[in-house]
Amino acid sequence: MTSSAAMRMLRSIWPLLSLALVVTGIALVASVAPITVQRRVAEAFVTLVAVVGLYIFVGNSGILSFGNVSFMAIGAYVSAILTMRPAAKAMFLPGLPELIKQAQWVPIPAALAGGVVAAVLAFLVGVPLMRLSGIAASIATFALLSITRIGIGNWNSVTGGQNSLMGFPIYTDIWTGLAWALVAMAAAFIYQETRSGLVLRASREDEIAAHAAGSHIYRHRLIAFVIGAFFSAIGGVLLGHYLGVVRIDTFYLDLTFNIVAILVIGGSGSLAGAVFGTIAIATMTELLRQAEVGFQIGTLHIAAPAGLADVIVALGMLLIILLRPRGITNGREVAWPFRP
Amino acid sequence: MIVDVIQGLVDAISVGSLYALTALGIGLIFGVMRLINFAHSELIMLTGYTLLLFASEPAAVAILGGLVVAVAVALITERIAFRPLRGADPTTLLVASFAVSFLIQKTMALTVGSKTKGVDFLPSLGEQIVVAGIRLQLLKMVTIIVTVVLLVALSWFLRRTRYGREMRAAAENFRMAQLLGVRSDRVISIAFAISGVLAAVVGFLFVSQSGFLEPRMGLQLVAIAFVGTVIGGLGSLVGAAIGGFIVGAATVLLQLVLPYGLREFREVFVYLLVIFILLVRPQGLIPSAGLRQRV
Amino acid sequence: MTFPVAAQRTDKNVQAPSELLLAVDDLHVGYGSITALRGVTLRVHRGEVVAVVGPNGAGKSSLLNSIAGLVRPRQGQIRYAGRALDSLSIENILRSGIALVPEGRHIFGSMTVEENLLLGATIRSDRQAVAADIADLIARFPILRGRWQQPAGRLSGGEQQQLAIARALLCRPALLMLDEPSLGLAPAIIDQVYKILHELHDRGTTILLVEQNATRALEIADHTHVLSAGALRLSGTSAELLSSPQFDAAYFGVTPPEQVPAS
Repeated sequence: MTSSAAMRMLRSIWPLLSLALVVTGIALVASVAPITVQRRVAEAFVTLVAVVGLYIFVGNSGILSFGNVSFMAIGAYVSAILTMRPAAKAMFLPGLPELIKQAQWVPIPAALAGGVVAAVLAFLVGVPLMRLSGIAASIATFALLSITRIGIGNWNSVTGGQNSLMGFPIYTDIWTGLAWALVAMAAAFIYQETRSGLVLRASREDEIAAHAAGSHIYRHRLIAFVIGAFFSAIGGVLLGHYLGVVRIDTFYLDLTFNIVAILVIGGSGSLAGAVFGTIAIATMTELLRQAEVGFQIGTLHIAAPAGLADVIVALGMLLIILLRPRGITNGREVAWPFRP
Repeated sequence: MIVDVIQGLVDAISVGSLYALTALGIGLIFGVMRLINFAHSELIMLTGYTLLLFASEPAAVAILGGLVVAVAVALITERIAFRPLRGADPTTLLVASFAVSFLIQKTMALTVGSKTKGVDFLPSLGEQIVVAGIRLQLLKMVTIIVTVVLLVALSWFLRRTRYGREMRAAAENFRMAQLLGVRSDRVISIAFAISGVLAAVVGFLFVSQSGFLEPRMGLQLVAIAFVGTVIGGLGSLVGAAIGGFIVGAATVLLQLVLPYGLREFREVFVYLLVIFILLVRPQGLIPSAGLRQRV
Repeated sequence: MTFPVAAQRTDKNVQAPSELLLAVDDLHVGYGSITALRGVTLRVHRGEVVAVVGPNGAGKSSLLNSIAGLVRPRQGQIRYAGRALDSLSIENILRSGIALVPEGRHIFGSMTVEENLLLGATIRSDRQAVAADIADLIARFPILRGRWQQPAGRLSGGEQQQLAIARALLCRPALLMLDEPSLGLAPAIIDQVYKILHELHDRGTTILLVEQNATRALEIADHTHVLSAGALRLSGTSAELLSSPQFDAAYFGVTPPEQVPAS
């Protein structure tokens, strides 16, 4: 390959490559940092996967989804159940089919299973939902959030209902997080460059023109919704295997707010928005977490009040929408730094 | 047996009414501004906390306080957060209202704490009265009556007053209304003020029934009401009320009708019903012509 | 605020110069990267009918919309009765005496004919006079009475156009602007609408009219401008324009066919 052809190829994948380098760089730096920092960075990678999952749908279609957290829940539960010790399942989840009760899968197939189940649900729900106008679809995704919450939360014999699920491996560390983050980012980038992604993005600008284009937009919205659901579910899988505990309470409005806020603040129009939004918010919440722990000056304990981080994120989200609605990245990907 | 049915129906109608009122407050603002006001849930929540503040005062004072707080917060959020965004696309507006909602909620959690607080508001409404030989909870009857009164009042306002007319015109075709000299600021402020009143009333009834407060209490109501406005038909006030009513009543009716093991899943069935209605009629039960018309 | 009184026209053929009502100078209007008007200049005198004709997309609506205050011009000045309109709100422009009947009529379909008409009086506070005006309008537009309580959405296209004009008249405008009043209407209905415009003209209302249908506009106008791709190409009286070989070129932006010598 000639050097100019190589440069051209490099340039075309630069938006993804640059982000991949940033994220990998963070992982490398964290790997020599204390274990507490590593845990935080791993958690940030988990968040990143979830945000990218949301981005795949929102960024391309322009429709806000409140339902992606339910895909996270499904991913988390499916993977937890599949990797859980059979003895625990037999005791706490008697309603499971025998095959699953006795199974104990290794992480990757279990994660993939979580993603696939969520994708199937996304397809089923998406068929009616994607016909709706953008705003109606957004609100309808609320229904999804509630359905999953109530469905999982009351299906005691299969999911443990309101109880916490435990007894499955905790394997999410910075490298697992990094690996899945890179996969998710690559998938997002590839999708947005395909014809489907491009057509969908064009419809983002002008809903009336999109309406005129008709069924094509419907199909592409559904595709983006399903792919996004898969990766949101992976985010849920990673979250579950990070905490070591899966509870349905985790997957409701607070988590929805956090993920949506990150994407809005970073900029929902670009993959860079998803990544930089996550980095920015994760850093800020970590700093505030330290502030909430506080420090001692003599006998005085100074600490920020608990819950301050949430208020600041909400305020940040509002300010961004008012002052820079396309987010920090203004909807743009990372620019090619050299002359063409 | 028939007594159970009637009690169940009254229950369904009362819950449906509560959701209808909530959906109406949301639909009103959507009509004039194309904004789905998430923060409506916080108006309800703040009303509740105001009742706690005035717990040792007579009920009338508490009610007045609640109304003032709800209307004031509604107008403030309009002025600060939504007016600068007028004319933005609905998704941007939705995100903004989402942010405002959580900002208010999290600030309350920060200042007042997230722990659930108990509040005793108009406990006398919890009593049972006997109507035509059937025992019914007074609160349920009051809910239904208050809803009917508010619906009639709102209807009168919209049909018979000049500002109501201006609001309907602005909701149907904002630009054309402007061309005729309708002042958009005034129309939108009035809409927000009315929505504040509706939210406050919902807050009174809900708190009286449940007896507890927490920063997230408004979300449950509003999440269901949202879905109600969508099936009712975005942009139609009647649709919002009907949609909210249907969804609310359905949750109660399903509880009565479903077999024991499935009862906890009743909301799932309600949402499945919602999805079915949307499959068949994506524009909602009462589609609004105004949604597409623009000068 | 008093409304400028519409002058009474005496004789159509008298060429006496009348008062300048509207002066548009070097108007540039655009939306984002699109430029709709490039340097449009025109004059409207009291009592005149001025028409602006041109193909779709010429910028005709942008012209009226910017005068009415719906869109702010990028450059240029609009003066009405000596006052600059640029900084005024839509409501204040209306109060000054300019009313716009926009393209597509835009009556409120879910509201009754009565309510639609009442909305025309939004800026007026003189109840008695409004009532008298409404009675007068019902007399002049008989279809209104027949459909008084019906939802305006049920009216036919021509009836809606009449309602829209009546509604605009309720503001007692000195300058009435109409954007494509004949659009989407059958020829017989267009006749009715233009008959109303003729009456208004005879009563002294100044009219600024924008039309794709050049023929109709030319019949009624004292002065016509041809607008194409955002700029005025040709101006003159109807007689001048109809006999001008450049008219088609100006309208369609094509070169005129070569004159075929009579054989």
